[in-house]
Amino acid sequence: MALTALICDDSLLARNQMKKSLPAEFDAAIVTATNGLEALTVLRSQEVGVVFLDLTMPELDGVGVLEAIKAEKMDVFVIVVSADIQPEMQKRVMDLGALAFIQKPVNTDKLSAVMRQYGLI
Amino acid sequence: MTDLSFTEEQRDCLQELINVAMGLASDKLARFLNTFVHLQVPAIGLVNAAEIPEQFRGQYQGLHSSMISLGFFGDGGLRGETILLYQLENAGKIAALLGYDDDATSEAEMLTDISSILTTTFLNGLAEQLDNSFSYAAPRVISSRDNDFISKLEQTAFHWQLALKVDIRYELTDYSFDCNMILLIPGEAVLKLKTILDNVLADF
Repeated sequence: MALTALICDDSLLARNQMKKSLPAEFDAAIVTATNGLEALTVLRSQEVGVVFLDLTMPELDGVGVLEAIKAEKMDVFVIVVSADIQPEMQKRVMDLGALAFIQKPVNTDKLSAVMRQYGLI
Repeated sequence: MTDLSFTEEQRDCLQELINVAMGLASDKLARFLNTFVHLQVPAIGLVNAAEIPEQFRGQYQGLHSSMISLGFFGDGGLRGETILLYQLENAGKIAALLGYDDDATSEAEMLTDISSILTTTFLNGLAEQLDNSFSYAAPRVISSRDNDFISKLEQTAFHWQLALKVDIRYELTDYSFDCNMILLIPGEAVLKLKTILDNVLADF
């Protein structure tokens, strides 16, 4: 059964950029969410293998999503994809259990390398 | 008449480019001030430039405000003027963070430095994503310690057609301050910007 990947970003452009940046060999069903609350609704209702998570979002931001994932012990890979590149923020999300931090706009080589490293492709 | 309005896709695209530019600017600011900047989604609005003074009257009425202008010139006719607007009492907080001594530096110098940090880093980030590069005019303090800056804003906005309002809240670890950045863009540059946004959108 193919993996389900969740792309969570409030921007349609960013969601489309993310979809297009995914390696061709990545075999997954893609679902999307436009803010953190929507993402949690998806995560609580279906099996998701990996989340590509934006940080700066309305309703609930990416840090809030990571905190909920940790608190509810959800079994999901999180790759943060954000414009908030401050070292302290990168450290914060990694401490909360994110696998990797990828700076926007997404570099496809970096994304592929990270996904390969964690066996996603 | 040429249509200067943006489609929803163009607006979303611009919002995302601005988010990324804000991220770059905040990172610079955070490193410079050795603090952490809490990023929020900046509110952007595209309005007729003539409406700008009225929109800020309520927010800044009767307050000492600082208004600094910075002209920018990019390739392919993309050009305009940014205005950074904030209450003057905030300037003191930033000045303290930047290590300015109240007596040693002129207020104008301090205000232009702040504008440069907040505006230029943002514009450079935006230009980079637009595959463009901006050069800048010397920053100009339009107004400070002045209650009647709305009329000065009117005189400035008069030269332009479209205004891109970006409301930004810089929340640092120890305090926060609000400022408004206004990008004033002439009609032909708006058309250029729309074309660039369409090209970005076509790529995805």
